[in-house]
Amino acid sequence: MSAWLSPEILLTLAGVGLILIDSLAPEGIRRRIPLLALLASIGILGWSLCPESRSLPASWLNLFVSDGLSAVFKPFFLICLVVVIGMASRYRMEADETVRGEFLALPFFPTAGLCLLASARDFLAVFVALELVSISLYLLAAFHRAKPASLEAGIKLLVMGGLSTGFLVMGIAWLYAGAGTTEFSKLLLSQAGQGANPAVLVAAGLILAGIGFKVAAVPFHAWAPDVYDGSPTPVTAYLAVASKAAGFVLLIRIFGIGAFALESVGEFFRPILLTLGIATVTLGTLAALPQRDLKRLLAYSGIAHAGFMILALGTRGEGGIGTVVAYLWAYLLASLPVLLFINELERLHGSTDMRHLDGMGRREPGPSLGFTLCLLSMAGLPPLVGFPVKLAVLANLWNAGETPALVVAVIMAVAGLGIYLTPIRVMYWEREADAIPARRFPPFLIWVMLATGLLNVWLGLQPQVLVRLAEMSLNPLPVVETIRE
Amino acid sequence: MNFSLTLPAMLAIPLVGIVLIALGTRPKATALWVSLLNLIPGFLASGVVLRTGELLFGPDPIPAREVFPVKFMLGMDGLSLSMVWLTLIVTLTAIGSAREGIKREKEYYICLLLIGLGALGAFISVDLFYFFSFHEVALIPTFLLVGMWGHGDRSGAAWRMTVYLMLGSMVLLVGLIGLYLALPETARSLDWRVLAETLRANPLSPGTQHVIAALLLIGFGTLVSLVPFHSWAPGGYASAPAPAAMLHAGVLKKFGLYGLLRIALPMAPDGWKEIGWIVGLLLAGNILYLGLASLQQRDFRWLLGFSSAMHMGTVFLGLISGTVLGLAGALTLMVGHGLSAALGFAVAGEISRRTGTSWMRDLGGLAQRTPQLWFYLMIAAMASIGLPGLANFAGEIMIFFGAWTAHPVLVGIAAWGVVLSAVAMLRAVRAIAFGPMSQAVEAEGVSDLQGARESWPFAVLTLALLLVGIIPLVVYGPAQPVLERLLVP
Repeated sequence: MSAWLSPEILLTLAGVGLILIDSLAPEGIRRRIPLLALLASIGILGWSLCPESRSLPASWLNLFVSDGLSAVFKPFFLICLVVVIGMASRYRMEADETVRGEFLALPFFPTAGLCLLASARDFLAVFVALELVSISLYLLAAFHRAKPASLEAGIKLLVMGGLSTGFLVMGIAWLYAGAGTTEFSKLLLSQAGQGANPAVLVAAGLILAGIGFKVAAVPFHAWAPDVYDGSPTPVTAYLAVASKAAGFVLLIRIFGIGAFALESVGEFFRPILLTLGIATVTLGTLAALPQRDLKRLLAYSGIAHAGFMILALGTRGEGGIGTVVAYLWAYLLASLPVLLFINELERLHGSTDMRHLDGMGRREPGPSLGFTLCLLSMAGLPPLVGFPVKLAVLANLWNAGETPALVVAVIMAVAGLGIYLTPIRVMYWEREADAIPARRFPPFLIWVMLATGLLNVWLGLQPQVLVRLAEMSLNPLPVVETIRE
Repeated sequence: MNFSLTLPAMLAIPLVGIVLIALGTRPKATALWVSLLNLIPGFLASGVVLRTGELLFGPDPIPAREVFPVKFMLGMDGLSLSMVWLTLIVTLTAIGSAREGIKREKEYYICLLLIGLGALGAFISVDLFYFFSFHEVALIPTFLLVGMWGHGDRSGAAWRMTVYLMLGSMVLLVGLIGLYLALPETARSLDWRVLAETLRANPLSPGTQHVIAALLLIGFGTLVSLVPFHSWAPGGYASAPAPAAMLHAGVLKKFGLYGLLRIALPMAPDGWKEIGWIVGLLLAGNILYLGLASLQQRDFRWLLGFSSAMHMGTVFLGLISGTVLGLAGALTLMVGHGLSAALGFAVAGEISRRTGTSWMRDLGGLAQRTPQLWFYLMIAAMASIGLPGLANFAGEIMIFFGAWTAHPVLVGIAAWGVVLSAVAMLRAVRAIAFGPMSQAVEAEGVSDLQGARESWPFAVLTLALLLVGIIPLVVYGPAQPVLERLLVP
């Protein structure tokens, strides 16, 4: 019975339910939609932590699998959903307040897609799940209809998403032509012991390009800054964290443990992944340095983070995969609070320009401190959680003997500090602008930011927790114990 | 009574102080009381270390082999002992010499306490992960202190300092990673005591040792302002507010030297010997190049910055001497330099606060107007020159004797360094203290240190300098067994 209550199904039901309530229910209930959506998402998140939620309907098992990786990442996507719903219920779209219900219901659908993606074991399932994600995200990115930049973001995402889907489908077609199957395990079996099949290599390359768009890896990154900047901030958060993580889960599935994990294919792609990683981390870091808009800054910093993770993945082996898993969690813990803060900043000031941070350290000491801690965590400074994961990336590169990549990673890790110290400097150093009105953050932000900041510190001092998660994600069997450690 | 709890207490007490200040108690009083209170666990822990040689605090060894065996473990032995005391004393005096009327007092004192906390944590960490982390904890407040409360080109100085120190830290991190991964999988550990023993029994291959020693040298060397990675130091110290310069030049910089003693020497001994000639070249650069550069300075704070970076050359000479005497001298000079640099920056801070300038040309005749300040200026200058009776002399002479057989040429160069330092310092003292009173000094409102309330930090530092200078045994005595062990193959 509980198999039919998997998070994916519940998410879809919740989304549909919210839309129905929004269009049919009386005004009194409709005003409560933010609360309902939040409760629904938290409920599903809680359920996804129970081991019982991990069984899948028997008829799905051809396409989906429930293993350690999916068990670790379903809660990840659901945490993103909870935060994004929370942000969305506080996001202000000046003129038309009425569209709110849909704005809160829509994020449930891509989350269902991401959860499916995390447990996909066949390229067909991957394709369906990705389309579910993409189409909902096109809508969400363009949701702020009064703002031209948002429409532009929607169009850009649509075009680039379409292109990436094109690559992916083309790759899947080549794969089918070359290997005769699209299922990961059968692919592994059919290719094992043979030399590299050129058709499979072409397919893997095309699929890599398709996923490269999702994670915003250079040279497929060009859409990210404009789309992040133009989209409503909750959608930016979704794109920056959940969507990016999904790309990496897919990369782990395909290149790490699944279809293309074979020696022949993997070794062929190792230099390619490393080169991609070097280019991504370099461009992301250098382009982020001069940014003055927080969302654009985060877009480029997200590209840099993707670069670090691609480098870890490029080293192959379990260490690299575990590192990516830990890195994604650390990234979630640091960047979601940052985006939450930016969302509130935008609510107060109407834009996300860094000048609104002027003197923030003085006016709002609590939230500023939390924001600072999370930024420093993204920079990878101890004792914050960003440090052990960056350490793990460097250790993997050293272990694999990739000296050029190691040198680049070290230099970019240092240069990256400049990205995150700039907003901190603005908050604490710059003289206070007189014209700033005394608008205050809501009290909840103080506690949320401080709590997440301290969580970053605590996990930075207890990296074992992340190691557990990474180990769990490598477990090929359904995991019984929960991850609530 | 379980004395091992004194180690976490030394970290918890400043942390409590930080929280209290954040909650709104009087910043300076809280910071001062907290640093004073921290002396108690310091005393207790030192007592145990002096009696038994070592004090450890930490979880039981983790039974199963961990993928990443990090554990929060603290420890103190004869070598950390003097570093811990240096930190405790300089933190106390730095906070004591911070003056009223600073903008954003709360953040200011929190940053100062954080630097002290980070340095203490680094010196008593046994686990390399925390050893590195604690040092980084101290870097960000340094950046904020220079950037927010500094003088002159504070923004540029802060960025330069941050980039250099972070780059150094990252190179160091890569070196540590390399060291960890060079071990066979069953022997991996992050505990430096275990690592040192493992590597003593099964040394790494010469090639690996070479690479690791070089990475550690660049990493730690940058943090210690070894030429050519020094250019953050003089300007950074010149721009930093006096207490920040005291803490960084006095304490935090010693982290790099301590790390070399703790890690590079015992764990890559052959590699360290192999690159000895490179270290020799670089340290000669420190002594001669920075020594000559310090002669050209017109600003007293810049002069102190250069001279502080210059003295690091002599410490490096002790580190490559290969004798216990040389190492003991290096340790003594680390402490001596920490105290004298702190005193120097404190005096410079007072001078520029009272007269509004630190340009030596604009000063003069300070001895008549502010005799107390002049006295402490003389002590700082004399310690820096290496006057017998003050700590630096003891350290330098031990280094010279210890290094004589292995590196006679370098000892000769270092002796010239003493001369350069004497010329620079004496010229500075003459320009600042003697001669006719300048306008800035004569100006109304320039007053001497007001009673014990203002002068006690200076007195404490002076007494400590005298103590170590007259009885250097207090520094190297407890550390001697540790240092001897470093050189046993």
